[in-house]
Amino acid sequence: MDVRFKRDGTTLIVSIDGEIDHHTSRILKDRIDSKFIMEPVKNMIIDLARVTFMDSAGIGLIMGRMKRVSSVGGKMSIRHPKPEIIKILKMSNVDKLISKEA
Amino acid sequence: MQPINKMRAEFISKSVNESFARVVVASFVAQADPTIDILADIRTAVSEAVTNAIIHGYEENEGVITIECLLYADHVEITVEDSGKGIEDIEKAKTPLYTSRPELERSGMGFTVMETFMDSLTVESTPGKGTKIHMTKQLKNR
Repeated sequence: MDVRFKRDGTTLIVSIDGEIDHHTSRILKDRIDSKFIMEPVKNMIIDLARVTFMDSAGIGLIMGRMKRVSSVGGKMSIRHPKPEIIKILKMSNVDKLISKEA
Repeated sequence: MQPINKMRAEFISKSVNESFARVVVASFVAQADPTIDILADIRTAVSEAVTNAIIHGYEENEGVITIECLLYADHVEITVEDSGKGIEDIEKAKTPLYTSRPELERSGMGFTVMETFMDSLTVESTPGKGTKIHMTKQLKNR
């Protein structure tokens, strides 16, 4: 599992590579949160294009980051999830965060 | 009906073993040549069951988790067992979005995911003794 960050204006783009489960989500959570605090950003985009596996720990990770982003008045979205990941996102209504643009 | 193959794996309750458990079960079931979607569903359900044993059964202390797979011509039976603290109220634990440990930022969707991704789910648990999660999945549904 690896995570890369890019800043676009006031938006932090988080690109996750690999598998998101309970084990990796704890590491991801710490890395994403510290970057979000350090950078002058208020919005977050989580790019799931390179995520090959995600279980409900990923839902917890996304919902937790959404709370954080909302608390500073920012907007949160998800992009490029693979079909098997959309299935789990839909179960918890997190799929409404999937951005429509490519 | 006799299973065509059987396996049993035992490992300690370290979170790094969640991916190990998924890989072991998926490669065992792969010999029945299921679709990629079915295999993905099984990996997800196994991951949830093992995570449940680590976080709730053993509360992140060290214990032993056992996985048993019985492979039949058309379906697989998977049992994930721990000797942890057990579940007091199984129905409550299965409620979507319910989590007994909100401080961990969990979604509370573990059992809902297992129920949705597998064809059947049975949970047996004795407080103080442990939990056994039994799941089945059809492999040939075309």
